[in-house]
Amino acid sequence: MTFLPLTVAVLVAGGAYLLCQAGMVRIVFGITLLSHAANLVLLASGVSAWRTEPLNTPGATGVADPLPMAFVLTAIVITLAVTVLMLALSLIGGDDNTYLVPETGQEHR
Amino acid sequence: MTDSLLPLFVVVPLAMAALGVVLPARAMIPLMVGAPLLTAAGGLGLLVAHAEAGNEVIATQVGAFVPGIAIPLVSDTLAALMLTVTGLTSAACVAFSAISGEARLRFFPTLVLMLTAGVNGALLTGDLFNLFVFIEVMLLPSYALIAMTGTWRRLGIGRLFVVVNLLTSTILLIGVGLVYGVAGSVNIGVLADADADDPRFVLAVSVVLLALAIKAGVVPMHGWLPRAYPATSGSVMALFSALHTKVALYAIFRIHQVVLDGAEPYLTVLLTLVVLTMVVGSYGSLGEKMIRRLLSWQMVAGVGYILLGLAIGTQLGLAAGLFYLSHHILVMGALLLASAAIEHTYRSNQFTRLSGLMRREPLLATIVALAMLSLVGFPPSSGFFGKVGILRAAADLDGVELVVVMTAVVVASLGTLLAGLRLWRGVFWGPPLEDLPSGDREPHVSLDTRAPLRTVLPSAVLLVVSLGVFLAPGPVWDVTVRAADGLLDSTAYAAEVTAP
Repeated sequence: MTFLPLTVAVLVAGGAYLLCQAGMVRIVFGITLLSHAANLVLLASGVSAWRTEPLNTPGATGVADPLPMAFVLTAIVITLAVTVLMLALSLIGGDDNTYLVPETGQEHR
Repeated sequence: MTDSLLPLFVVVPLAMAALGVVLPARAMIPLMVGAPLLTAAGGLGLLVAHAEAGNEVIATQVGAFVPGIAIPLVSDTLAALMLTVTGLTSAACVAFSAISGEARLRFFPTLVLMLTAGVNGALLTGDLFNLFVFIEVMLLPSYALIAMTGTWRRLGIGRLFVVVNLLTSTILLIGVGLVYGVAGSVNIGVLADADADDPRFVLAVSVVLLALAIKAGVVPMHGWLPRAYPATSGSVMALFSALHTKVALYAIFRIHQVVLDGAEPYLTVLLTLVVLTMVVGSYGSLGEKMIRRLLSWQMVAGVGYILLGLAIGTQLGLAAGLFYLSHHILVMGALLLASAAIEHTYRSNQFTRLSGLMRREPLLATIVALAMLSLVGFPPSSGFFGKVGILRAAADLDGVELVVVMTAVVVASLGTLLAGLRLWRGVFWGPPLEDLPSGDREPHVSLDTRAPLRTVLPSAVLLVVSLGVFLAPGPVWDVTVRAADGLLDSTAYAAEVTAP
């Protein structure tokens, strides 16, 4: 049971580190790690507490809670869509350095 | 009967958005303006229904699933009020984008319709996870909208906007997961009965509130807002100003009151944040040299006043906060649309490139002057009663809190006044545009140009509504008092959300 929190901690640490980088692609990877951490938190809130194989267990007592799984599924879909958009944004403008690009500015009108 | 119609608030705009794939943008424009108007009309109808039935709550479980698994949509006076105000303001914003020609961009109407669907869903949902989903439905089209219109800065700023919002959504998701882990449900009706004194539960809900506070732009998590919003175009910024931060504020009101039962121990934290937000926001404008950047700081300041009502937490405080919320949506919409009209005509919103518009554009000057006075809290518009309500509610605090809050409101109002003077001196006073050195003038703008009346109309409509609220504040105040009652006594809400 200690593996899940430790994994979340490692993922959050890696994600936070990558978010502080200048390159948009690294930030995208950071966000991906963070959203995986969020998914694991969701799973930890419901699945692991009751976890057994859903085979040969009559009744719903031994089966994992399906609601967090539905949450995670929805969250994965949303993150996937935004990741694609962010990768596109990192291509637009030629340079993916987030520190430089915002100053290209007003003259291009 | 009415309850089964609630999903239409989400379904109708989404279905209209789907039409955007087959119809050309030109044919979509009436739908794009119509959907927010329909939302406002529906919200008004719900307000009347709630008033007649003695503040009754209307709820439905979509698809008649078991409560707790189904998607619950709930409407009470607060949600109906928000639907009306946001619907009206976003209709004015998209009407401007149709007039200025932005709406002819491919998929612009579709994105706006999806945004409307997400906002309506987020206002009506009675479930924290669905709140997350609807906030994402609201944000995804916004990512595209912010990168679609405006200056070239938007491409870089779009990255900032996406990253900040996605990071915040991840925090929100983690918070929802923690709430589920502690309470075993994310249905707001069930959570209303949960033990609000359990520190684990309060901590989990606080993670949700933290994420919403970032989305609302509460100081010290406000930095993204004045950087991101001004980079997009005027009408899209007005749309975002009316919807995004306000939906987050609505959710903070709902969760803090219904789930945490008002959470007294957090009063000091909330008051500190609120005071900081008011003061930092209103003085942040002083360094800016562009109309919309100046206004974006005033948006931050407004968040402070609205949450001050929540922090006070009495019936009067909540009602005053909600009144200020409605007023702020209308007046910020009027100001941003007026600046969008200036930008549409003169191709710039920089102080150095504009001058002497007072004589050139008397109507726009009147709108901006009245709306800025409204933000400060002077008559004759809704801002006066907004400030009166906030100050009257703050008078119920005691000791140090009373002194700090009163001082902060007065000091922050002075900051807003200074910002208004700065805007007035930069754009409306000064020599006529003809006398500016030609290097300072925006090229391609002819000296005969005047803002066409049709570009001024949307902001004029919003300002007229605000003036109407000043002349007859009674009905609006009654509605906000009923909404505050619904927040203070959440038993009816909880019972309806969990009823099959």
